[in-house]
Amino acid sequence: MTSFVLNSRVVHTEQPPGTVMLDFVRNASGLTGTKEACREGECGACSVLVGSPGPQGLVYRAVASCLLPLGDVQGCHVVTVEGLSEGPLTLVQEQILEHSASQCGFCTPGIVISLTGFCLSARSFSFQESQDALDGNLCRCTGYVAIRDAARALCERLEGVEPDPAVRVATLVEAGVLPPGFLEVPALLEGLENPQEPPVAGGAPPVLVAGGTDLFVQRPEELLEAPLEFLSRHRELDFIRVEGGVLKVGAAVTLEDFRLSEIVHRFFPSMREDLLLHSSTILRNRATLTGNIVNASPVGDVTIMLLALDASLEIRTRSGQTRRVPLSEFFQGYKQYDLAPGEWIVEIHLPLPPPGTRFNFEKVSNREILDIAAVSTAMRLILAPDGTIQDLRLSAGGVAPVPLLIRGLEGFRGRSPEGETAGLLARHAVEAISPISDIRGSATYKKLLMGQLVRAHLSAEVLS
Amino acid sequence: MKNVDMGMHVRGTSRFVDDLPTPAGCLHAALFTSPVARGRIRSLDLQEMAGSPGVVAVYTHRDVPGLNEVGHVLHDQPLLAVDQVEYRGQPIAMVVAETWSAAWQAAARGRADIEELPAVFDPREALAKGMIHGQKRILVSGDPDAAFETCRHVVQGSLASGPQEHFYFETQRALALPTEHDTIQVHASTQSPGAFHRHLAEVLGIPMHKVELDIRRLGGGFGGKESTAVWVVAPAMAAFLLKRPVKLVLPRNHDIATSGKRHPYEFDYRIGLDDEGRILAYEVDLLQHAGACADISLAVLGRSFLHASGAYRIPNIRVQAVSCRTNIPPNNAFRGFGVPQGTFAIEAAVTHAAEVMGVPAAQIKLKNLAEDGDVLPFGMVLENTNSRRCWETLDARVDLAGRHAAVAEYNRTHNQTRRGLAVIPVCFGISFAQTALNQAGALVNLFVDGSVEVSTGAVEMGQGVNTKIQLVAARTLGIAPDRVRVHTTNTSRVPNASPTSASTGADLNGMATKYACEELRTRLCRYAGQHLGHEDLEQISIRDGVVHLAGKPTELRWEKLVAAAQWARVDLSSHAFYATPDLHLDPRTERGRPFAYYSCGTSLTEVLLDCVRGTYRVESVEVVHDVGRSLSEVIDRGQVAGGVVQGIGWSTVEQLRYGPDGRVLTGANAYKIPDLKSLPPHFSVTLLENSENPYAVCNSKAVGEPPLIHGLGAYFALLDALRSVRRDKALPSLPLTPEKVFMYLHG
Repeated sequence: MTSFVLNSRVVHTEQPPGTVMLDFVRNASGLTGTKEACREGECGACSVLVGSPGPQGLVYRAVASCLLPLGDVQGCHVVTVEGLSEGPLTLVQEQILEHSASQCGFCTPGIVISLTGFCLSARSFSFQESQDALDGNLCRCTGYVAIRDAARALCERLEGVEPDPAVRVATLVEAGVLPPGFLEVPALLEGLENPQEPPVAGGAPPVLVAGGTDLFVQRPEELLEAPLEFLSRHRELDFIRVEGGVLKVGAAVTLEDFRLSEIVHRFFPSMREDLLLHSSTILRNRATLTGNIVNASPVGDVTIMLLALDASLEIRTRSGQTRRVPLSEFFQGYKQYDLAPGEWIVEIHLPLPPPGTRFNFEKVSNREILDIAAVSTAMRLILAPDGTIQDLRLSAGGVAPVPLLIRGLEGFRGRSPEGETAGLLARHAVEAISPISDIRGSATYKKLLMGQLVRAHLSAEVLS
Repeated sequence: MKNVDMGMHVRGTSRFVDDLPTPAGCLHAALFTSPVARGRIRSLDLQEMAGSPGVVAVYTHRDVPGLNEVGHVLHDQPLLAVDQVEYRGQPIAMVVAETWSAAWQAAARGRADIEELPAVFDPREALAKGMIHGQKRILVSGDPDAAFETCRHVVQGSLASGPQEHFYFETQRALALPTEHDTIQVHASTQSPGAFHRHLAEVLGIPMHKVELDIRRLGGGFGGKESTAVWVVAPAMAAFLLKRPVKLVLPRNHDIATSGKRHPYEFDYRIGLDDEGRILAYEVDLLQHAGACADISLAVLGRSFLHASGAYRIPNIRVQAVSCRTNIPPNNAFRGFGVPQGTFAIEAAVTHAAEVMGVPAAQIKLKNLAEDGDVLPFGMVLENTNSRRCWETLDARVDLAGRHAAVAEYNRTHNQTRRGLAVIPVCFGISFAQTALNQAGALVNLFVDGSVEVSTGAVEMGQGVNTKIQLVAARTLGIAPDRVRVHTTNTSRVPNASPTSASTGADLNGMATKYACEELRTRLCRYAGQHLGHEDLEQISIRDGVVHLAGKPTELRWEKLVAAAQWARVDLSSHAFYATPDLHLDPRTERGRPFAYYSCGTSLTEVLLDCVRGTYRVESVEVVHDVGRSLSEVIDRGQVAGGVVQGIGWSTVEQLRYGPDGRVLTGANAYKIPDLKSLPPHFSVTLLENSENPYAVCNSKAVGEPPLIHGLGAYFALLDALRSVRRDKALPSLPLTPEKVFMYLHG
């Protein structure tokens, strides 16, 4: 049984934990404000808010309900557009109305949810963050000019409101962003936060679900029947810390938490922008780094970044032991990797960058945001005090059956990164890749593009 | 006034087809479609499908109670394939099951033994093989051959434009409910109440009076819900046969894979100019890639054909247009309806000519801009276009010469990035080119409490037509808009309605509404005269909900007037009809006046190109467009901006890819439409001031489609930036995806 609060009432349901929330709210709960337009997390029309218990109260995030398994909201507060519409219009709704930021109306509930999610989770109520929050919400009509105006006006209205996470909900109720009913929810949730039921002994081993943002696109019917185990319930794996010169990231950390982490920002400052090129806010709020790795897509953005950063994986074996595998040795073939049944990746380790490190990520896709790269590549360059190359790592996505670490770069050590080095490195990289022609682009394009992106890695902008 | 539905949209309470409470016992239909692009069906194996969990019924063409035909114009499209298939995704069988997922899982278990036949995916190959829909159309005006002889500059080339997926957020769907006396009620997401009503009756084999089609609103249409009736008719057939409610809701990727798109075109053009840059002659062959059935392609082709001269005055012209029959899903209407493609060809030709002549394209465009008094190739004289005023207003706002100089300077001093500019003038004929469709009905009912209910044939799909109609009714009756409610579009209240299409929804239905309200107003004023003891009807009016006598308010308020009139046995219901006057086009001579008026505008688009990566962004779009005296400025601004963004999508990132077997490879995760972050940082829409239009309701002008053409600015501005880097290559085809841009630069 799954128990949670849906808008303002407690729900207990026996529906399979693999039922996606979109179907549950529309079909079982009659809440048809949440719209289905793609069922793949591509459009944002089905967005809902999920408030998960945290040390400072409920932490709300906007997520795509078409990829959100019911079983993963045990003890949480799920909010659909109806949950924001129990009284007068909220500030978000009012601004959308005021700016005529709705035409056919099918995307509008998702826009309302994502902008409310922005209010609930933004570090500051800045216009730029409001636009980031809407990066997964498409409008085909397309009312973006008005939507942008509405978001800008919303930020202006929130000027002076303190985005303190400890009292965020109360502040937003006060500001008219949330209906007062939100204040009653923690009491309703008391007693609901049971740990998930252990899988039945002797039954099929459960499918481990991280964010589910790819699993529920690929195999929704199968997951409806299968026993599931949710990584998000393993709170002990939700951490980011530095230990012994290594940044350790727990398996349950979402991409968005990683992107916004102050610790990550201190050591890898470009990540905050780089990761905006990975999927969209409503997906990053669920997707995890480990999920991106075991997805084993040859073009996974995070994997490409982590390869260049010399990441290694800590894997828990069935017997409870741990073993370490460098990420560069993890992938064995197309969608094949070094993980036995029953083994989990529990931690990702990233060596902290020594002084003189330059990191650069390049991705070219048809649409810049929420699209799969034609080619992506990351570079970690460590410069010696005299400005020559001390160490160089280069990865490439979309150009081989696996996420590729380009090898044989030792010869570049001791060289100046300027001058003809870029050309030589580009040639080396292009020779190391074997792209195929597909819907992301022709093999010729990908090869030529790889060369250009490697040149961009060593541009004056990156080296400065 | 804002769109009246928005208050519900933001709360999620507006109802679309799939949001209607599901009736008890409702079943779900799904389609088993052809796995090959062309072939002869030897046999079907539907055993596994029929035995799949939850399945209630399986139907093939043999089960169709009436006519197995849904061809929109020609009778060439069976509802369910009989013995051959002409495109991958063509419906072969329908399965009905207890749940949506059971139905679609069962549909995936259908099997067909099909003898594959060679398929054609290239329009030129189709043409060479004589595979065309309808007839080739030829329009000649002046003497192009002689004129080309006198031209100082002649350039020619070939070019192509790609398909565009509608990606309406609400996929194709309908809910059918059997009712008494073997009648059926259908709630559908369609733009075509009249035509789909007829298709429903034909397929079910019952008279139209036994079918009621009701349409509340659409989650986007853009033309994609105008002509293909399969997804509305199929569930109705199942409901009719099973005597149970049946719903059909297409999964997104099924919709993308099997529905029509904006037609890809291929163009061969030749243009000739004199030394001063005057266009003397133009000829163009328009090859339309239509797909397996004619659908609405010939009408789309006709519009490309009639708009071949774009926004320009061209004294000598030859246009040849042909619709090529290929083995892909039948393409259909998409916002702009062939005009974007026809305009693309002439814009490319003019740009190409300007380049060869070494003068700015904008200079050639302005010199040849079609204006009032100019005669179009098919003989229509332009009037009330405001084309030059739009151009001049834009120039005054943006300083075209200054912007061009700034971009030239930028490009002189930058190599890693380049900028590009394009001015696009738009000249778009308003009316259905098919004269018969330019008609509309409206039914206006007054109730004794003074509330007003309006029904028309217009379909609300986000374009705000219902709000405009509400305004027209309120304004005509002299009451506040909140007294008026626009009801659903229903074939029992307004029969035989034309599709909401061709940007004419408000023009036609608004005018019919106005006529019906005028009739009611006349009746009420006549009664008020009697009531007030005043005989001179000229002196009586209704303003702000109060009867006025000689301009002065009386004690007689609207509610009392209506109630008293009813008691005095005045008919409070009025139906009216509007047919756009003076429209004609002779198909033999291709001469006539097919359009009521023209919608014009001018825009400037600027792009920034990253020459290293081949990526780009549209930095600014500034549009001036003439919408006449706007019925609702906020709605019209939304229509302009929305159209432009869709046009930018078509011109840049929207790329549909087919496999060598005709399979659509780009589902929702690969077919990318514009997102918020790709919206140009600077985007301004100026509605031309002081514009009057005697040819449409309340002096307004249609706005739905024409602004989409401004989106071509993204292609031409990118081209401008690319040509600043190199000119040793032919013009690339549209869309200019990052891959194409990159390959132009580095390939």
